[in-house]
Amino acid sequence: MSINLKTLLLGSLFLALPAFGMSQSWTHEGGTLNLDAPPKRIVALNWAATETLLLLGITPVGVADKTGYSAWVKEPELPANVANVGTRVAPSLETIAELKPDLIVTSTEMAPAHELLERIAPTYVISVYKPDSRPFDKAREMLLVLGAMLDREAKAKAVLTDIEQTLKQKRDLLKQANQTDPAIALISFQDNRHVRIYTKNSLYQAALDSLGLTNAWPTLGNYWGFTSTGLEAVAQIPNSRLVVIEPLVPGLADSLEESPFWTYLPPVRNQQIYRIPSAWSFGGVHQIKILAETLTDALLKGGSNNVR
Amino acid sequence: MSGEAPLATPSRPKMPTRLPAAIILLCLLAFFASALPWLQQLSPLQLVSIFWSYDGDEYASVLAHFSWAPRISMALLIGCALGLSGAITQQILGNPLASPTTLGVESGGQFGITMATLFAPGLLALSPDIAAVAGGLLAIGLVILLTWRLGFSPVTVILAGLVVTFFLGAINMALLLIKGEWLGNLFIWGAGSLAQNNWSPFFDLLPKVLIIATLMLTLVRPLQLLQLGQTSASALGAKVSLLRATSLFLVVAMTSVVVSRVGVVAFVGLAAPVLARLLGARTLTERLFWSTLAGAGILLAADTLAYWTTLLSDGSLVPTGTSTALIGGPIILLALQGFRNDHHMPGHDASPTGFLPPRRNPFQIAGLLSALLAITIVLSMSWSPGLEGWNWTPLTQWTDAWVWRGPRLMAAILAGMALGMAGTLIQRMTGNPMGSPELLGISGGAALVMVALALAGLDLGRAGQLAAATLGACGALGLLLLLARKHRFSGNQLLLGGLALYVFMDAGLRLAMATGGTVASKLLNWMYGSTWLISEIEAFSLLALVVSLGGVTLLTLRPLTLLPLGETSASALGLQVPRARLLLLLLAAALTAASTVVIGPLSFVGLIAPHLARVLGQQTVGKQLIAAALAGGLLLAIADYLARLLVYPNQLPAGLLAALVGGLYFLWGLGRHGKN
Repeated sequence: MSINLKTLLLGSLFLALPAFGMSQSWTHEGGTLNLDAPPKRIVALNWAATETLLLLGITPVGVADKTGYSAWVKEPELPANVANVGTRVAPSLETIAELKPDLIVTSTEMAPAHELLERIAPTYVISVYKPDSRPFDKAREMLLVLGAMLDREAKAKAVLTDIEQTLKQKRDLLKQANQTDPAIALISFQDNRHVRIYTKNSLYQAALDSLGLTNAWPTLGNYWGFTSTGLEAVAQIPNSRLVVIEPLVPGLADSLEESPFWTYLPPVRNQQIYRIPSAWSFGGVHQIKILAETLTDALLKGGSNNVR
Repeated sequence: MSGEAPLATPSRPKMPTRLPAAIILLCLLAFFASALPWLQQLSPLQLVSIFWSYDGDEYASVLAHFSWAPRISMALLIGCALGLSGAITQQILGNPLASPTTLGVESGGQFGITMATLFAPGLLALSPDIAAVAGGLLAIGLVILLTWRLGFSPVTVILAGLVVTFFLGAINMALLLIKGEWLGNLFIWGAGSLAQNNWSPFFDLLPKVLIIATLMLTLVRPLQLLQLGQTSASALGAKVSLLRATSLFLVVAMTSVVVSRVGVVAFVGLAAPVLARLLGARTLTERLFWSTLAGAGILLAADTLAYWTTLLSDGSLVPTGTSTALIGGPIILLALQGFRNDHHMPGHDASPTGFLPPRRNPFQIAGLLSALLAITIVLSMSWSPGLEGWNWTPLTQWTDAWVWRGPRLMAAILAGMALGMAGTLIQRMTGNPMGSPELLGISGGAALVMVALALAGLDLGRAGQLAAATLGACGALGLLLLLARKHRFSGNQLLLGGLALYVFMDAGLRLAMATGGTVASKLLNWMYGSTWLISEIEAFSLLALVVSLGGVTLLTLRPLTLLPLGETSASALGLQVPRARLLLLLLAAALTAASTVVIGPLSFVGLIAPHLARVLGQQTVGKQLIAAALAGGLLLAIADYLARLLVYPNQLPAGLLAALVGGLYFLWGLGRHGKN
């Protein structure tokens, strides 16, 4: 992990090193970006980018789907005075232009609009979530590159060190308590009958890896890192601990208890059902810290036979 | 199976043995395919007994008893319920295309649940049925209200049902787009999934289905009288309207109860009676009985298909709603072969004489439409919401505003004009005032090709997209013309194009919705037209394209006037019919494709604009073309403006708004047309 981090850090810094003179040049997924000075007015068009900017101690002037961020990502907190520029799939270009940003952060999901965004301000394209990507590495790259771009390199490193320390500390705790086995299935309920199972290409996988845990679900999911499936699919992974991520469906525990499918399920019989507060599964590096903390706490506290 | 000739039995037509054989075979095959994965873990005998018992020491047995067996039972129960509802609906309306899906009941149920999730979650926890039934009643209420004066004329009812489906579907989509994260579970529910982990949903649903089915069966005798026709039935003492209303209410109740449990499982209620009839079910009792069983077989087969595909895609859920749509499409097309062409589109037999508003001066009308268009352009360019509230942009600052407001407005207007002209061309070619690129599936042909391209991950750029879309539109239109040669462009065949398009698009959308992530939102945004992505260059190339196509269209006035006279008269007047047809076909396809790339396939503008031109008194081809182009441009200009400001700073796809406005106009027009 730490070697991984260093090579990546060095790699991104070399990439990011100023060419010469005052103007700095950065290559990214959408081309090359030239900056004369660290940008001050930044617009973030997805929540991973919003989170990363806030981690660096920078408040963006505008973000996409502002109320959604405060409801779903929550942490780090978004100040109330930030402007909302519309939805994440179709933001209002005119509103972005009105904010007169000097940097726009977006992903390849917005690729059809790149040309138009470039007319407003230099646009930095980085996709934490896209086919064949490793979300945590990409999120870390985004943090480091934005740190360098915005003159916050120290802060970026501090954030990563903090996360690394937390992960190491939690890993030791789990090892001492002998809690590294059996494998973990991270699931969230969509309704009484359907779940999302977070797969090995999810952001969460980074937390599992660093904590010395294994993901019980064998296959890869979509590029957001999950598989939507019927609840009965968890029967395919009997030797696992089921970690249920909030929010829960109302009345879930009662309806599960009524079904022998659930009460006979090996993890249920072994009292290996855990419930943890939500971390935004499609966010940036900070979500890993949140998940590592809540997951370790839950595992150390011990499981139960239902989602309570 | 047997070669028995039905014609040879003079007295009482005998039911061909292939009917029970085929349907029972379907059920058994589906059941066997579904049981196959379990046979590795359990013996066949165990697997049968799994329906009433399980062995607590063997988890495979518990799993089969609580997930597989209830899923099979649920599929059979719901299949029966929908099959019966479908057969009853077809009997009430005397129309082979009537079904809970095509009448908008399923969309209505979904609409009710979506609204309840957003605004009254308490009601949903209390009983999902109330919300679903209310939505279903709203849908069927709209259909009835609109077709009241026409005495439920069969095709009008289906048309109204389709429009209500599109309309409520559009509202559903708008809510999903704006409130996506909050409605996450609705994505799966809306896609229709039969996954189970307990018997309680089945035993909860069973009594409701049984009660409604019993009530339906008490109506069989009076329904038989309906076969004699409305007048004779009334003479025999049947209260036709009351009977229809009661039966429809039962159909709505049945469908909504099902929808509230497992989501939208579309087309089973349409396909089952069609299959039963195709296999030779004749009397009402036969049709009701075999449709019910066929429904069970079709849904079980579809669900098994979904289950297998789910297994093959590493456990990622493939909803049953997708596979029913995929199975429903071919059955509808199959049905086409079997139907006599005895239904007429509303206004078809009366057209054009029955539908002639007073002629008006074309210059006045064109002037009026142009003035309205100019006002919309000025408003759209100048009066806009911003971060500090609404503000007025004076003409001097239009160059700045142009970048963000200009190209999209221009593209929207051009797409509207293209659709207006395409609609007029198609109405003239088919001689049918209800023909339109949307309802006939020509836009759908263009859209299907583009969706396929998007799903395959190919990015061809706008020009490539346009070429591909034109190809798709040509394909769809060509297919229609081929059918037309056989069926003479009227009645059900005409609707089938639109319906089949709807079926397949539906299947794709459901799949994307269930997989989750942003694929669905992106697809939805595109399907309903994302004018916000259009750049100046694209807008100007569209201008060049539409102007040149429009120019060519004006050269085709003579063939357009002559073609509706019939092939013989037209060639007698010196027209080279095949060549003229081909030219018009290409023109209509290109115009449709150009607009579909910008505004998506579901805007209704191609239906409304020519209609509006007629209402405004422009009867001859040339005048109608110009007025329709202006009206289409005006409609989409307004839609684009509203799309930008209604939910500022969020925006809606302009095509979605056009579909909402267009749907309303069409519904109103249908009702008004009935009064004449």
